[in-house]
Amino acid sequence: MSTQSIRTKFLGTETSFSVSGAWLSYWILLLRLTAGWWMLHAGLDKIWAWPFDASWFVGGAAQGTILAPFVTPFSDGILLSFVNVAVPLGQTAIGLGIILGVLTRTAAFFGAFLMLFFYFINGYGGGWAHGMVTGELLGIMVFGTIVALGAGGILAVDNRLREMGPFENTRLRKLLG
Amino acid sequence: MSDLTTADEIAMYVGGGLVVLGVVVIGLLDMLLGAGHPVDSEGAIEHAAVVPIDIRAGIILLGLVVWGLVAVYKFATGSAPSGATAGRAASGMDD
Repeated sequence: MSTQSIRTKFLGTETSFSVSGAWLSYWILLLRLTAGWWMLHAGLDKIWAWPFDASWFVGGAAQGTILAPFVTPFSDGILLSFVNVAVPLGQTAIGLGIILGVLTRTAAFFGAFLMLFFYFINGYGGGWAHGMVTGELLGIMVFGTIVALGAGGILAVDNRLREMGPFENTRLRKLLG
Repeated sequence: MSDLTTADEIAMYVGGGLVVLGVVVIGLLDMLLGAGHPVDSEGAIEHAAVVPIDIRAGIILLGLVVWGLVAVYKFATGSAPSGATAGRAASGMDD
């Protein structure tokens, strides 16, 4: 088992610390499996109980929140129909992507994006009674960790995708983990 | 050594700074300067907000949006992956 030495300059000072390579890989994988299942379960639950109606959330809970100007336009008509399909399918795709390591960084980015709405709308709805650090904010941090670490290198389909033609393009490689 | 681009620095310092300001710094101010510390029905101590909650939430939101925008920018510009990122086997794979 090897130990990796991290040496970098951060906040104007030289920083160094060591991490166990095996433990880092193990922990990233566990992080992916738990965060991925979180999203996959949320998506499949909605698909199992189809039809899903998000109007209570985008049209009701979001009212009066900091995100209302961006969310309430989606509370009826074709935009609501879009949300009703996009949320369950999106959550399922995000969950599968993170668990299997397919376009891992992209999946985690959208996981954080989705969680941002849950964080602020649920937070406002509850009057922030449980403080500003909630499960949703920690979810954003977990997905952010997966994005920052490029966690798709471990037991992931991304390792295969990386060898394929389209992903030799530098920009598209960034979508992988 | 550091291979941070300007975008990386904006994400780290501006984005992260706003999130830390909203979550930690203002939280600490509320605790230290907030008037009254009643205990609610769940046993948690409530601190009167020194900074209005809307402003605090807005600061956190702004920080998260900065992170997101930088992520989109980094993808759009297609600069080479750096650090512990795509294109390299993750640490520990060969252990």
